[in-house]
Amino acid sequence: MDNNFLVVENISKSFGDNKVLENINLNISKSEFFGLLGSSGSGKTTLLRILGGFEKPDTGRVILDGTDITNLEPFDRPLNYMFQSYALFPHLNVFNNLAFGIKENFTQKEIEINVRDIAELLSIEHLLKRRIKQLSGGEQQRVALGRCLIKKPKLLLLDEPLAALDKKLRSKTQLELTTLQKKLKITFVFVTHDQEEAMSLSDRMAIMKNGLILECSSPEEIYENPKSLYTANFIGIANIIEIYKKGENFYSDDLGINFKLNKELKNIKTNILLRPEKIKIQSINNLKTSSFNSFSGEILEKSYLGSFTRYEIKIKNMIISVLDQNFYSNSNYNFPKGEKVICSWESESIKVLED
Amino acid sequence: MKNKLFEKYFVLSPYFWLVLFFFIPLAIIFKISISVSEWGMPPYQDIFLFDNGFKINTTFENYVYIFSDYYYIGSFVNSLILALISTFFCLLIGFPLAFYIATSNIKLRNILLVLVVIPFWSSFLLRVYAWKIILQNNGILNVILLNLGITSEPLQLLYNQYAVIMGIVYTYLPLMILPLYGYLNKFDLNLIEASKDLGLNRIKTFFKVILPLSVPGIVAGSLLVFIPVVGEFIIPEMLGGSDRLYYGKILWEEFFVNRNWPGASALAFSGIIILVLPIVIFQILYSRWSQKNEI
Repeated sequence: MDNNFLVVENISKSFGDNKVLENINLNISKSEFFGLLGSSGSGKTTLLRILGGFEKPDTGRVILDGTDITNLEPFDRPLNYMFQSYALFPHLNVFNNLAFGIKENFTQKEIEINVRDIAELLSIEHLLKRRIKQLSGGEQQRVALGRCLIKKPKLLLLDEPLAALDKKLRSKTQLELTTLQKKLKITFVFVTHDQEEAMSLSDRMAIMKNGLILECSSPEEIYENPKSLYTANFIGIANIIEIYKKGENFYSDDLGINFKLNKELKNIKTNILLRPEKIKIQSINNLKTSSFNSFSGEILEKSYLGSFTRYEIKIKNMIISVLDQNFYSNSNYNFPKGEKVICSWESESIKVLED
Repeated sequence: MKNKLFEKYFVLSPYFWLVLFFFIPLAIIFKISISVSEWGMPPYQDIFLFDNGFKINTTFENYVYIFSDYYYIGSFVNSLILALISTFFCLLIGFPLAFYIATSNIKLRNILLVLVVIPFWSSFLLRVYAWKIILQNNGILNVILLNLGITSEPLQLLYNQYAVIMGIVYTYLPLMILPLYGYLNKFDLNLIEASKDLGLNRIKTFFKVILPLSVPGIVAGSLLVFIPVVGEFIIPEMLGGSDRLYYGKILWEEFFVNRNWPGASALAFSGIIILVLPIVIFQILYSRWSQKNEI
């Protein structure tokens, strides 16, 4: 696949003394749904605004479909930007909001056809005569999306597209957004601080921190094989354990147990990641602790989450999180607080963090 | 219960003010305007006579008099034109300024707002008098122009309608800027970016987004400038010449020079009706329109 559809090259940006972006490089392919994930102050929104043309980068270039758009004004760029607040025009009704960007170049009839088509696509035909204030949050989001899509942009930028919706509506809209994107084959780049949202929407995503891109890969890859400690902690729940080489195996002082890894380590000392759902939890009566990749501990906290139960298990100096799928409907299969249990995992589940 | 009563009267107090200092004087003016004039003190007859039984002594002569003489109507038209031109220039200068203030950062914004209000700290009369000194034949402006060789003899800058317009725009500009600022301050700047993103350049964005959404501020500021300028007396008196007569001046002359109180009252009362009635109608229509459009 041609992954040079959108090229971000050495972009840096400072506001006064504050360095917001430092030497950002990205390659995004055509029809890709790309997420920029980071906490506030990571520079993700500034990067999106540079793509939209609302900020000028200090250095670097933005190339879209072979054209350098770095110095183009927003109104000359073949892309559209969906604002977090939606920025719908309060003095216009839904029809005129949708038609806003195409009024110049189309006849009245063409405008009407285009608006009907886009309204049908987003199932908002019944709202066309409404004022913006008469719309719910979800309806406003659709109008904002429609106002951009009607222009058939090469690239759609979305700033926190779901942040203003309530939780239930959010997951429904997430699904609709991915379906829509796959159908229209428009390249989407969006910004979010919500890791779940980033993972469910993105084909690939970039993790940003302090103006840098730490990692850029598919959600699966970033979750399963994070490169940095920051990413491991930022995405999902993470048990981070410090280990060092001891004879054939590796040893953790905090847990007082041996680890067996199926790969060699560069450093003598390193951090490893063990995701909570990779740990099997069993009753102590069932089997004995093995000499490596398992431990026995005491359940300190327990929270029942419906499909899962989350346990906090204390062993020596550390508390390890474990997610156990509630496979049986009988609650007796849950372990009570204070119970001694055995936890074990496969060697492949141990991920070495490089930094 | 007692508190509620207090609250009720407290809320109503602006209306007491309005009745005491606007409606009662207006009623007195109306009463004088329908009285018969005579030489004496006061220079008009009572409207109720009791000497040979009760008799109502009113006349509409005064209204006929002022409406049949173009001298009076003409001065009112001059004042309306002056107010329109001044309001236009106040808007032309005030809108970009208010927009700039509203969109600048908090620190700069507060400094600029203080700068707008500062002229109010000195007397209005002194400020107009200062313009007189600047614009007079041997004033500082003419001295500069002469020394730079731009003109060979002093320009007649004072005592004409242009000096009046300048003085009014200078004096009334803050009244335009402040209400405009109040509206533009709440303006969502994302709307401007959204408009540009959808392909409209700066000029089109101004006319399609910024201007329509600023209508309430423009209306408030324009009314605040337009209404008092129609009756403005001091500025035309000090900076104006004999090239144009304005309503305020004619009113003053009718009262104090000609001592024609009933005629002057008729003029004042007609002026108020002609000015206020369309504005009231406009306000009713406008509030309906803005409710419909939810601005």
